[in-house]
Amino acid sequence: MIPITLRITLIVAVIFYFIFILYYLKNKMLELKYTLIWLAAGFVMVLLIAFPELLLLFVTTFGIESNMNGLYILGFAFTIMTLMTLTSIVSRQNLKIRILIQELSMMEKRIRELESAEQRDN
Amino acid sequence: MLKTLIIIPAYNEEGSIEKVVNNLTEKFPQYDYLIINDGSTDQTPNICNRNGYHVVNLVINMGIGGAVQTGYRYARDNDYDIAVQIDGDGQHDVSYLGEMIRQIEEGHADIVIGSRFLGKEGFQSTKIRRVGINFLSLLGKILTGVCVKDITSGYRVVNARFIRIFAVDYPADYPEPEAMVIAAVHGGRIMEYPVVMREREAGESSITMKKSVYYMCKVTLAMIIRRISFGIRR
Repeated sequence: MIPITLRITLIVAVIFYFIFILYYLKNKMLELKYTLIWLAAGFVMVLLIAFPELLLLFVTTFGIESNMNGLYILGFAFTIMTLMTLTSIVSRQNLKIRILIQELSMMEKRIRELESAEQRDN
Repeated sequence: MLKTLIIIPAYNEEGSIEKVVNNLTEKFPQYDYLIINDGSTDQTPNICNRNGYHVVNLVINMGIGGAVQTGYRYARDNDYDIAVQIDGDGQHDVSYLGEMIRQIEEGHADIVIGSRFLGKEGFQSTKIRRVGINFLSLLGKILTGVCVKDITSGYRVVNARFIRIFAVDYPADYPEPEAMVIAAVHGGRIMEYPVVMREREAGESSITMKKSVYYMCKVTLAMIIRRISFGIRR
């Protein structure tokens, strides 16, 4: 079982964690769809603190030595998932930036040509 | 006559770009050309402006793939039937262009790749690079069943169908072998045409020895992933 003091520490930490995310969301410093994974991680933490049996089940199912290790592994798994989500967001933005550069540069050519045509007409 | 656009990607090619374009306009005044200046930091953009060349200046350097794709987008948006890509460094001899374009015009192929290994003449690259190219060529054959000997050649002619495909989906860096896989999985008829390549006149190859290990790993993976993401049915 998780010791009671640790449970209190964890619940306080998770509350702060949610306050942080909500603060950022409220001030539009984060887009909701990018925080879904963060919120999911917090939700899992709340579940584990509220029902330590779930952690015990997880730990015994996967043959993990102790409860604390189980918590670490979960935390690590969420970090990796978040990093992968971030990489995927960067990649998608990269593709969009690429199209933007190409369209902008072709537009610049068109403007340049229109301007020189106009100059010739005058 | 079919509308043809010659795409010339150029990154810091101040020493050769004039020669390439003048050569081209002299021999093939009937074709349009478009230089894609990939954010050059040397005199390339000034030379293009001074001579009044047709040029798209990419506002940020994007690498060869992004530059070539700009050309394909331009070709698509302006309803070209045939697009040619040749390097801005003078390696590719334009005198083969007429014949290569004719293969497309007469419908013998969807994509024609200028190959320095079919005729075995002229600049054949260094031995170590040939080993790498042969490996990629073999990989391409295993993945798609299509054998392209000079799979890294950037001397290519494509028809309208592949202009539209490449305008939407063209690999980012070191694109040639991967683009060939894209073409093959789309069922394109790929033809190699023997050409003689020169050693580059100025500037430096984008693939230095240091980068070549990265190049091989990245391209190998990219080709395999391309093939996988297209599914088994083709």
